Amino acid sequence: MKTAQTIYQEGSHRWVVIARDPSKPDCVIDTNEYLISREGDNLLTDPGGSEIFPAVFAALSTIVDPMSIRYLFASHQDPDIISSLGLWLECNPDIRCYVSRLWSSFIPHFGGDENSLVAIPDEGMSMPLGSGQIEYVPAHFLHSSGNFHLYDPDARILFSGDVGAALMPPEEDELFVRDFDKHIRHAEGFHRRWMGSTEAKLDWCERASRMKIDMLCPQHGSIYQGDDVMRFINWFAELPVGLSTFRHRR
Amino acid sequence: MSNKPTHKTSSGELAGFVRLNEGIKGVVLIAFQINIMALNAILLAHRAGEVALGFGVISKELRSLSVELTGLMQELSNDAYLAVNLISDLLRQERRYRLLKKATDLVVNPSPALRDVMVRREEEFSLITHRVRDVRLRLLDRLEDARKLCQFGTAISRSAKIEAAYGREYGRALAEVSQEFDQKIQNILPSIEALCTGMQRR
Ligand SMILES: [Fe+2]
Ligand SMILES: [Fe+2]
Repeated sequence: MKTAQTIYQEGSHRWVVIARDPSKPDCVIDTNEYLISREGDNLLTDPGGSEIFPAVFAALSTIVDPMSIRYLFASHQDPDIISSLGLWLECNPDIRCYVSRLWSSFIPHFGGDENSLVAIPDEGMSMPLGSGQIEYVPAHFLHSSGNFHLYDPDARILFSGDVGAALMPPEEDELFVRDFDKHIRHAEGFHRRWMGSTEAKLDWCERASRMKIDMLCPQHGSIYQGDDVMRFINWFAELPVGLSTFRHRR
Repeated sequence: MSNKPTHKTSSGELAGFVRLNEGIKGVVLIAFQINIMALNAILLAHRAGEVALGFGVISKELRSLSVELTGLMQELSNDAYLAVNLISDLLRQERRYRLLKKATDLVVNPSPALRDVMVRREEEFSLITHRVRDVRLRLLDRLEDARKLCQFGTAISRSAKIEAAYGREYGRALAEVSQEFDQKIQNILPSIEALCTGMQRR
């Protein structure tokens, strides 16, 4: 069973991470879902695959009524991100799912239609949540060609989808990064193979380094906070990625 | 009968209807062969003239039988296609139901709204289950029609054998044709029987 843990709270404004599911089948990658709640407006980021839906739903129910989720955000189109959409819509047909315009006609294979899917334009957009605003920040080609991150300027948290993800061995699988150098070894292979574009990577690093980020929250692995955020951005900027580093040919 | 979604039933059913469609293809092929054979037999009877008048009538009967059988098989195939669609839908629903049920069971105090979702799921499921049952009953009726048609075919192909005996110099050719008719019809019957039992077993 997954657990829900509050990582930020300021009045009714809070971020809750749903993470670490020891009961999930081994063949399914573990994912982090984040609930952003503000004055009763509830948004869930990358709600996950359909097989882990019961665990996410149950963990959420310890914090809010899961039927009250109004918005979903899908950073991109992968099954571990959004294949549970049909189930969420089953619970609440009024849910709106925000996703890159590139994928708004692909995701209905998992559920939803033109009414339930809201297409985010390539340049990104902001959206009200409770009394505040959140921003959908472009992160195209990292790794998906239509890819967004979600920034909450009041909480200074960036949800970064697959960027920052690490595939941790169970004994080192902590919620927050404790030892950056040790942690980043588990992120290296993932970023080399998944992030194909140096140009996109440097563009993102440049923009991210100018943002005020207290926590960088990836969809897999541990959360970066404080100085580790900038450490990660610098590490990523230096990391060779793309076809030249990929030895699929002899 | 319980209408609680169960994955096992539906995936087995799906395979049953897919097999049915394959069986239908086999029958349609034989019906086509009978049609061509009957056409040739009509021409042969025409050449033979007076001595093969009866044989000609029987050949025409066999030809319309093959047309009717093809039509029946087309209707069966449409129903099988409909059933496959319904059952695919059922399988999707079952998966959703299973995951929603698991979620409901994990939640300590499921809200009435969540319970309503489960009730709606079960109702929808039961509706589709009934539609599948209706399609299956219709399929069985049509298979029964096909079986009767084949029994009639067996009877008239025997008559064709008798008529061939009056064919004088054409006797041998007519006997050969009537023998082939008999064989083809005998080939269809077991296929139809197999389709019937395949459907009834569900
Ligand atoms: Fe992904
Ligand atoms: Fe992912």
